[in-house]
Amino acid sequence: MVDVTDTLDCSGDVCPYPDVKSKRKVKKMKSGEVLKIIVDYPLSAERIPETMQSLGHEVLSVDKTGTSAWEILVKIK
Amino acid sequence: MDFVYALVAGLIIGAIFGFILQRGRFCMNSAFRDILLLKDYKLAKAVTVSLAVLMVGFAIFAFGGIITLSPKPFKPIAAIVGGLVFGIGMVFAGGCASGTTYRVGEGMMGSFVAAIGLTVGALMTAGGVLSDVKVALQSITVGTKLTLFGEYDALITPIFMLIIGIVGLVLMFYFWGWSALKRKLDAKEPLIKTDNFVESAFKKGYPWWVTGILIGLILTAGFVASNGVVGITGGWMNISNWLTSGSLLAWTGFIIFGILIGAMVSAIISKEFKFRLPKEGLTLLKQFFGGLLMGFGAVTALGCNITNILGGVPQLSLHSILAGACIMFGSWIAAYFLFMWKKE
Repeated sequence: MVDVTDTLDCSGDVCPYPDVKSKRKVKKMKSGEVLKIIVDYPLSAERIPETMQSLGHEVLSVDKTGTSAWEILVKIK
Repeated sequence: MDFVYALVAGLIIGAIFGFILQRGRFCMNSAFRDILLLKDYKLAKAVTVSLAVLMVGFAIFAFGGIITLSPKPFKPIAAIVGGLVFGIGMVFAGGCASGTTYRVGEGMMGSFVAAIGLTVGALMTAGGVLSDVKVALQSITVGTKLTLFGEYDALITPIFMLIIGIVGLVLMFYFWGWSALKRKLDAKEPLIKTDNFVESAFKKGYPWWVTGILIGLILTAGFVASNGVVGITGGWMNISNWLTSGSLLAWTGFIIFGILIGAMVSAIISKEFKFRLPKEGLTLLKQFFGGLLMGFGAVTALGCNITNILGGVPQLSLHSILAGACIMFGSWIAAYFLFMWKKE
């Protein structure tokens, strides 16, 4: 089981807030910490993992938890 | 156009369009904004692919005499002001005209509010309190139907469209597609995985190039079916006029209903349909305000992002090219001040 350091709930957020918020959030976190991002917006569910990877962070998992609901786990580099 | 024909053809083409929009998450707001904001070019690439497909498609049917091309008159001031206002508006609204419409079908109530704003803004500008502003902005016209290569010519313009479209497709394939294709060939992976076709066609988001090609094809079909470019803003206005002043629903309105149905079906199949509301009430107000700006911009610039960028640019219309550039620039201005300026 992964230790989640912090959770960012972006449900209900309008495009592109989930992306912008998670980008800002990971900047403030320390190396090795794990962030759980909750999104209900399909485009962001696909785009956030890509953005995180391009920033060099490790995407541990992307889980579809329900109808239009995703949980993304990111380990900060 | 016959009412039954408009109903059937409009709904079918609209529904396919809506399905592709939802699967491809095709929104020009994201496409343009993310060039600047996230340095993500996938949707922008999808837009350029669809433009090239549309150039070839329009040119072929124009040569065949099936459609009559009709680039817009070049109204520089209207294109600049309308384009910028539209571009700024779509960032606030959280989606361009087509992006907003397909998201309504996904159950995003914020986008529904934006769509109402778009309709109100468009009606205010078309014949309401802002119509004088629009008339003043549109008063300057240069030439009649100026294209990138001089005045529109029924023979020469489609030739240029065909050349640019084909060269564009070849270049894009070479620069964006070839390396990925080569990697697959070297790894001896199958180029097209047929075993999970149903899964990829109906349940997953499409890769950008698939989205681009499909959008190009369906909008070419839309032009052929109606002998005119597909638009979004006009459709919402048509629905509003039908509801409030008794005018008949037309092709443009049925396209909207089709998009809503197609996007909804697509979202339900992929388990992405859910009624959603922004957490903060202020977001709804922002989206409505963004919609109003888009409505004003679209009517002033003689078209929204679909009519100008995916309808006018493939016809090499100078008006649409300028309006499209201003829509993109407007979205960058708004994205910069909303998301990048003083961010931490």
